[in-house]
Amino acid sequence: MTERSLRTFVVFAAALVLAAGVVPMLVDARPAREIPAPTVEQNLSGVDAPGWSNVPAAEVPLAAAPSGLPNAEAVSTDAVDVQAARSDGQVYLRLQWHDAQATRNADDPQTFADAAAVQIPVDTSEQPAIAMGSQSNLVNVWYWSADTGTEELLAGGPGSTTLLDNQSVQTWAQHTGSGENGTWTVVFSRPAEPAGDNRTTITSERDLDVAFGVWDGTNDERSGRKAVSQWYYLPFGPGPGGAPFESILWAIAGIAIVAVTVVTAQGIRRARSQGGA
Amino acid sequence: MATQENVALADGVDHQVAMVMDLNKCIGCQTCTVACKSLWTEREGAEYMYWNNVETHPGKGYPRRWEEKGGGWKSDQRNERAPGEIPASEDYGKAWEYDHEGILKEGEDKKLAPEGGKPEWGPNWDEDQGAGEHPNSYYFYLPRICNHCTHPTCVEACPRSAVYKREEDGVVLVDQERCRGYRYCVEGCPYKKIYYNAVSKTSEKCIFCYPRIEGEGPDGEVHPPACADQCTTQLRMVGFLDDTEGPIYKLVEQYEIALPLHPEYQTDPNVYYIPPFAPPQHSEDGETVDVDRIPDSYLEELFGERVHEALDTIERERAKVERGGYSELMEILQDTNPAEQYRLEVFGDD
Repeated sequence: MTERSLRTFVVFAAALVLAAGVVPMLVDARPAREIPAPTVEQNLSGVDAPGWSNVPAAEVPLAAAPSGLPNAEAVSTDAVDVQAARSDGQVYLRLQWHDAQATRNADDPQTFADAAAVQIPVDTSEQPAIAMGSQSNLVNVWYWSADTGTEELLAGGPGSTTLLDNQSVQTWAQHTGSGENGTWTVVFSRPAEPAGDNRTTITSERDLDVAFGVWDGTNDERSGRKAVSQWYYLPFGPGPGGAPFESILWAIAGIAIVAVTVVTAQGIRRARSQGGA
Repeated sequence: MATQENVALADGVDHQVAMVMDLNKCIGCQTCTVACKSLWTEREGAEYMYWNNVETHPGKGYPRRWEEKGGGWKSDQRNERAPGEIPASEDYGKAWEYDHEGILKEGEDKKLAPEGGKPEWGPNWDEDQGAGEHPNSYYFYLPRICNHCTHPTCVEACPRSAVYKREEDGVVLVDQERCRGYRYCVEGCPYKKIYYNAVSKTSEKCIFCYPRIEGEGPDGEVHPPACADQCTTQLRMVGFLDDTEGPIYKLVEQYEIALPLHPEYQTDPNVYYIPPFAPPQHSEDGETVDVDRIPDSYLEELFGERVHEALDTIERERAKVERGGYSELMEILQDTNPAEQYRLEVFGDD
């Protein structure tokens, strides 16, 4: 390899590394499974509070939760739009999803109410099992039901939800439209650092894992028969938007290519110069 | 008190409380229903519930067509539950509201009748209809409570383990603190004996009057469940299945004439029935003919194929007494000694 072609290769490899880092950011402004969570000065307390217009939304796909319950695979909701923000020591989440018909009461043996929930780990340094955590890795659940209102729950695996003392979650909810335009909007709010055992402390030291669940009462959804997301995260920690894994891997690969090329080229050159002597 | 090793109790249960009801003594007076209602379900959200009900058979029962609503186990292997339905409120029959206030106090000029239109169904709606044609029509009454099954599918169905079987006596209970009103237990119970309370948002059921059998009432004395205590014909025996000296063990395990309702549901109920006898059929001109009025096939539908043997045993023992002989079985069925009828203190606090 000549010196010129070596230089060309090094430049090409460097460009590849750069592109790998920058292009995904241009194509998709944020890493996968990140939900933007800006700090907002305006009021966020309410489904149409003014602050929400400045908060970007992320569409989170939902699928039937794995469950042994009858008809667990038959769920109606396939996505929820999520907005997240911090304001004045509170964390806010605004969930919107399509629901043709609101079911607000479970006032008959055959009726179930619409509901939604937000799940976060108690220990934010470790991601718990997605299905309501486990006994060794608990989750907090913020639960809203159109019938029974709001509950702040603790769970350590499926079927273990228990009401926390001194409830600190507040919700606002509204159903608008009907049929194709039917939409539930539910806003959850909780102090970032509430008092009490087994409550998630949300700080600026690390990102916050978060998952979502929606129950369509009209479709008899309740308990483990629900539409749920995978783990997402709110980028509360330091650094620009958490860890874009793909970019890091590409960067490592790019550096490796350059290093191998340089070492190989130098080896060839040394061999040539020795051969020529 | 001796416990028979061959009595099959649920895993983790020390003793199994049980009830035997002699259907030949039931007159359909609903005193048991009222006793239960006034003690346990005169509450908001429980108006439509009858933890104890008496239904005419053949008939649709309470809730209407409950036998067609699924639940229970698919087979005697008990490794898969049969899908079940939650009955509609119309099938239970909504509690009728009357405008007593308006008619009696405010002088409104209207008939005292259920508000909101003419009801079309309710508990005991088809009372005494039965089946068959004159002069050979037939029916009998079937009192029903929760069967406190040995293999309860309501317990299996609950994803929160809110329904459980008590260790000390096998009574099946719903923990009102754990229950979140999902109603998988309502689907899962093939007898439809768990009810959803839309006010408390939890499900509830017959508790076998456990405070009474524990002597936790005002007088501190042990009492049988209210439905048994109040029964005008004293058709119920209450005790433990594994009390080998008690009448329940003898009727169920020894003579095998007290049978569970719908054994094919495979939940192994602990409420047992002495099958009903009726007078033989009549010919058109009123002569008695040697044909069973209640078809054996119908009794088999309710109590399984063991009902034939049970009916034969009862007839054989009855004939023995008619000939002047002694029958322990007939003595048990006619015993009026409350100490034998209600044997609830045999195991103490072991």
